[in-house]
This record gives sequence, C-alpha cells and structure tokens, in this order.
Amino acid sequence: MDSELVFILTYIALPLVFTLGFPVFSWAIGRWYQSRLMNVLNVQEKQQSAAIGGQLTGSTSNKMTSLTAQSSVLLHTSIVVGPSMGQMFFMWIKSIFGGQLHSYDIVTQYGRREVVRRLQEQATQLGCSSIVNLRIETSTISFAKNQDSKTSSLEFLAYATGIRN
Amino acid sequence: MEPPQAISLMLSNVETIPGHSVVSSLGLVTGSTVRAKHIGKDIFAGLKNIVGGELKAYTELLNESRNEALQRMMADANSRGANAIVNVRFATSNVAAGASELFCYGTAVVIQ
Repeated sequence: MDSELVFILTYIALPLVFTLGFPVFSWAIGRWYQSRLMNVLNVQEKQQSAAIGGQLTGSTSNKMTSLTAQSSVLLHTSIVVGPSMGQMFFMWIKSIFGGQLHSYDIVTQYGRREVVRRLQEQATQLGCSSIVNLRIETSTISFAKNQDSKTSSLEFLAYATGIRN
Repeated sequence: MEPPQAISLMLSNVETIPGHSVVSSLGLVTGSTVRAKHIGKDIFAGLKNIVGGELKAYTELLNESRNEALQRMMADANSRGANAIVNVRFATSNVAAGASELFCYGTAVVIQ
C-alpha cells in the first residue's frame, strides 16, 4: 500500500508536476503581467488623448490637410511582442481542437494599440498636428536557431506621415 | 560601407510632400538590410518569454535596422539628385531561421 503510493508519486505525479508546473506558472504570471501592461496602456491612451485633444489620426491620405500643411515628416515605429511560454503551450493544446485563441488576442491587441500610441507620442514630440496615411504591418519574427523552437514573436510596424500646420 | 554622415531627405508615405510641389520623378529607390539576432539579447529575450509582453531588445534591434534601411534608400535617392522620397513603404520578411530582412522602397522626386 505504502510502496504503491510511492510508485504513483514518483512515476505519475512527479513527472506531471514537472511537465505541467512550468507552463502553468508561466501562463499565470504571463496573464498577470499582460493584464497589468493593458491597464497601463489604457491609462496612457486616455492621458494622451486628453493632452492632444483628439489629434487627427487617419489611414487616408487627406488631400485637404496636405494643402494647408507647412511641412511633413515620416514617422515610423515598431514593437516586438510575444506571448508567454505557458500561453504558447496551452495554445498548442488548444490548436488540436481549434477555436478562438484568447491569449493571442491579448498579445496582438496590445501590440497594435501600443504601436499606434507610440506613433502618436512621436508625432507630438516632433510637433505634428495630425497624422495621415497610417499603415500597420504585422510580421512574424523567429530569431530562433531551429524552426521547432517554442519561442516566437510578432512585430508590429506602424508608419505614417505627420503634418505640421 | 557606412555613409560618412546621415543624409536627410524629406520623406512621406503619401503621394506628395505636403506643403511642397513635386517637380519631377526620378524612379524607384530601395534600401534593405538583413539582420541576425544577437546571442546575448536572444538569451535575455528567451527569459522575457516566460512572462510575454514586449521584447525590448528586439524592438531596438529592428528600429536600428530599419533606420539603416532608410539611410540606404536615402543614399540611393541622393545619388540620383533627388531631394525627397514620396510613397515610402516598408516590408519585413523572414529570409532565414535566424535573420529577417527589412526592406523599404519609395519614389525619388525633386520638390520645390
């Protein structure tokens, strides 16, 4: 009876803890860290929109703005974000059944909003009153040595023309 | 290989340079750079992957490389006698497992 318990502990419970322990830990700490990042971003976005008073940001090349402009500058900024290892692990399990990958939603949403926020910050630093022709591009970055590495990250690039009036 | 000083041209990603008028077009100019990872930064990024979020080392690396691609494009335009580049576009691709190519292109123009 006692030896059976030891057997179960050593050959079933311990390997399970060792294999699942790290992903669960990484997932939990990643969720906490990313929700904190999101909260910071929400606050910063609010502050920024209050400071610039609804700065014109558009994805169209506004002909009217271009006519009255004094000068312009090309703005570009990028950010590399990645999900945590635990999230990747659970996403890999989830991808067997398919469906919405909520963890990736958070990562992509954070990346896009943050990159646009930084672009607006850069525009205000350079004295631009409006941003036209905003483009956002996404690409996968794998700086890993082998293809089956667990680390993968996304790069979001935003570029636009800042107009000084 | 490195340009002696930073060339500064007017860039925009709309069809004109706002506030100026385009006099003549000098054709397509391109600039590209291929960057591989830095092993020290890669180890740190691997540690950062435990929590996820932004990987600052890669963000810096890519920004630096993109600026260099822009510089090369500007050098190309400068050698043709242009003073501005319009309709600038960026593209990123994975050329190898450990490297990515940052590419930018635009139309060199002379403005007034």
